[in-house]
Amino acid sequence: MEASRSIAITAGLLIVVILISLFSYLSITSRIESIEQSISSVQEDISEVQQKISNIEQEVRGIKEAAGAETTTPTIETETKTETVVVEKVTLTVIGPWSGKEQEYFMTVLEKFMEENPNITIKYVPMRAEEVARTLSVQFEAGVTPADVVITPWAWWIVEMAQKGHVVEVTGLINEDEYVGGILDSVKWNNKLWGVPFTMWLKPGFWYKKSFFAKHGLSEPNSWDEFLQLLDQIKGIEGIKNPIVSGDSVGWPLSDVTEHFIIAFGGPELQYKLITGEVSFTDPQVVEIFERLTMLIEQGYFSEPIEWTGAVEKWWAEEYALYFMGTWITGMVEDPNDLAFFPLPGARGVVGGTDYAFIPKYTENLDAAKLLLQYLATEGQAVHVSTPAGKVPTWLGVDTDQLWPPMQGVFAKIKELNMTIVPDLDDTIGGDWQVLFWDQLKLLWVQPDRLNEVLQTLASEHPAAGGG
Amino acid sequence: MSGPPRGYFRSLVFLLPALTFITVFVIAPSIATVFLSLYVDGQFSVAKYVEVVSERSPDKALIMITSRPESPPWGALVHNIIWMAIHIPLVTLLGLLLAYLLKYTFGSSVVKTIVFIGMVIPMVVGGLIIRFMFDEHVGVVPLVFNALGVDFLAKTWTNYPQLSLLALILGSVWLWTGFSLTVYSAALGSIPSSFIEAARIDGAGHWHIFWKIVFPLVRPATIIVVVMTMLWDLKIFDIVYVATLGGPGGSSNVLALVMYQYMARALDYEAASAVAVILTLLTLPPGLWLALRLRRGG
Repeated sequence: MEASRSIAITAGLLIVVILISLFSYLSITSRIESIEQSISSVQEDISEVQQKISNIEQEVRGIKEAAGAETTTPTIETETKTETVVVEKVTLTVIGPWSGKEQEYFMTVLEKFMEENPNITIKYVPMRAEEVARTLSVQFEAGVTPADVVITPWAWWIVEMAQKGHVVEVTGLINEDEYVGGILDSVKWNNKLWGVPFTMWLKPGFWYKKSFFAKHGLSEPNSWDEFLQLLDQIKGIEGIKNPIVSGDSVGWPLSDVTEHFIIAFGGPELQYKLITGEVSFTDPQVVEIFERLTMLIEQGYFSEPIEWTGAVEKWWAEEYALYFMGTWITGMVEDPNDLAFFPLPGARGVVGGTDYAFIPKYTENLDAAKLLLQYLATEGQAVHVSTPAGKVPTWLGVDTDQLWPPMQGVFAKIKELNMTIVPDLDDTIGGDWQVLFWDQLKLLWVQPDRLNEVLQTLASEHPAAGGG
Repeated sequence: MSGPPRGYFRSLVFLLPALTFITVFVIAPSIATVFLSLYVDGQFSVAKYVEVVSERSPDKALIMITSRPESPPWGALVHNIIWMAIHIPLVTLLGLLLAYLLKYTFGSSVVKTIVFIGMVIPMVVGGLIIRFMFDEHVGVVPLVFNALGVDFLAKTWTNYPQLSLLALILGSVWLWTGFSLTVYSAALGSIPSSFIEAARIDGAGHWHIFWKIVFPLVRPATIIVVVMTMLWDLKIFDIVYVATLGGPGGSSNVLALVMYQYMARALDYEAASAVAVILTLLTLPPGLWLALRLRRGG
């Protein structure tokens, strides 16, 4: 009886302790929340004031200009800080999108950095952009980060995370004047920089094997009709399954070739207008471009979607003749010197994209992470473009002759064709819509007769149309 | 005055740690989820439920009405129901049939192990295997249909809206049959061999023994298999995520994937909670029914 009574008392006490802890926890949490709200409201006020100041400055400048006064160009204090920061022995975790061969090329950059900074060890974890956006968003919300530096091609996502307060601001870490024009715009928000650019890829056109074209007497087309003739010629070659192989599994290979059609037949400006939502996917001009594409799919010029790395092998083994892919393909084939490309005749633009590196707010190694970011945005680019990664630099401090030799030829041809660099459509819009775009294109590839349905879905779900 | 039973407090003390954990990690989050789904923009409303049910985007719709009713997407909820309609009978019958054949005819633990492999494979790997199994270039299924000359099935199933959901369901039959086989093997083991022997002496054939003796005696096992498979079908996520991501065109989307898309991609926690609550409401009746049934002794 005594024992049961003491057990009952203990149990009662335990319940009381748990209840008290629970209430204390809830009250502390609500207080923290209210403090956080106050802080964020103060931050909002500050940024509002900053915005007002900058507006006033602009107005003053305008008035001065109108009055014919001599305007002084404000000095931008963005010189790259090169002083060496003394860092304790730390291990940085870096998440990046590269695996396999691409990872090897990136590791060359990291190894060089570690050589120059013996106190810093880097652990690299490959994770594709889709995974980064899905898993890290949730982890950031919980106030933790699995990496000190994250690299992703999705600038929209970095900005989204910055707006939610999960990213370290890096304004002033690099000299913004030393980069390819416009490359920093997509990682800016509130006039501040939230990530730095690494190397750039281009998606210039249909790749082919020079030896294959020579063997079958094929040549690059100069008009749409010649392009169709070329496809017909290829179709007639024994052993060829389809003239063009379609990459798949993660969605973007189909969107790349679609964007190329948009740019070729609607011009770079149409790509911009589709991104901003100024032109709808159901616009007659867009429909006409998609009809060209679906006509080719219907006539069997494109293969059905095949996992994109497997498709490289099949294309190189001459089961297919053409493959629309980015410049990184130069590093994925046995003999890059046997490789050439042509854009759709008349294409004036080429989609270019960059990988951006940023630091999550929850890192415990901020100094070392900043040092690495600075390196990736500058000297690291020179190292990366000299490997067979198939990339070009975004930092103007790298000379063209530092590029891996096969890429020098590709780069020269793009310059010769005078193609302007256009942002990637789905990477720029991002969010839910991006995955929807990929999935709808997959559907279009196997059921081209559903074109109208696909375009209507893309139009109605576009963020600018209130979707997504 | 009758007080609580003598062992009442002692039981409570033993239960307290478990209850604390269940409260913190199961009950509290469940209540928070319901709260989150109903508390929108500072006030209680069912707006999120209306939103998720009326959503018409192919990657998020629960019920989808299209101009092509003969071809998916039909919406995640409908896909889950189709999944159950095909998966439950196949898994139940296959499990019972295999367990019976292995026990009474050409029994082999090797065959059992092979079937059971599906059960122990991580679902993410299972999803990858399904993708390859139904791939035109490397998969065994299109290869077989190619050999049989059935062209419309000799292609990559996961690429086509009419076939992608079916590919996933058939793949999950393989992954889940190990479970029903195990349950039925145990149930068959509990049937006294004298029953079977007596029937044989009386001249009953395999078919008669199966339907008249074995099938009625393994009824409790059948209930467990059906209910557990139903729950598995409602919460299916991993293999869809890996094999098709709900595509193409949302044709293989399922409820758990929609919930995940709201939560991890759109960061719309209220909508994700609303889908979670709908999913829970669907899983509760079979779960409770099974619990009550087991409590009553099957």
